[in-house]
Amino acid sequence: MVTVQRAIEMLGIPTVLVTVEPEESAQARPPRALCPRGYIAGHSLGRPNDEALQKWILMDTLELLLADPKPGEVIIRDYT
Amino acid sequence: MEKALELSRYCVPFTPFKRKLEESLVCLVSTAGVRAKVDAPFNLEGDNSFKRIDGSLSAIELAVDDTHYDHGCIDKDVNCVFPIDRLRSLAREGRIAGLTEEHFSMGFSQALRELRETTVPQLARAVSAARPDAVLLTGG
Repeated sequence: MVTVQRAIEMLGIPTVLVTVEPEESAQARPPRALCPRGYIAGHSLGRPNDEALQKWILMDTLELLLADPKPGEVIIRDYT
Repeated sequence: MEKALELSRYCVPFTPFKRKLEESLVCLVSTAGVRAKVDAPFNLEGDNSFKRIDGSLSAIELAVDDTHYDHGCIDKDVNCVFPIDRLRSLAREGRIAGLTEEHFSMGFSQALRELRETTVPQLARAVSAARPDAVLLTGG
């Protein structure tokens, strides 16, 4: 996934990744990435049909585009 | 002929984001094996292709081909891994400008070299041609 992200970023398009595998993603050095703590593959954007939670995670992810750059790091946040 | 230089893993590509989110078209790119239900499935044994997903589709019109994670959530709501309805909702609220006309997904593959040398560059060019202001990537 990070390989794809880095390739898109190299074409001059800002990218941000939602990951549930923060250690693996960090090793691959993503330009921007957010990990909702404790989530597993299959619901990286939150519980099914929980629109408010999904949009919360989605906006936090998109707002990393506006945040101070931390290229190569994965930002971990709690959504409980 | 010498092989082209590749970017070291220690070097992180970074394109500054200079717009406002409210003025930005967002493109979704996933490796979760998402596709339109009307399209042919990904090969679950290994598939090095990527698929285009029409930006007008809703999550209910999408399917997921994957055997590597629990489908309990996505069977109820594909937005759990491919939040196309939620992005559209954010656009209605004016928090982003909208979605690109196409989104993209890859399936499962262990042919890493072909992925790196062929699929990923093709996918990145296809994403660029969709002219997004920002790209959101999701795994599973």
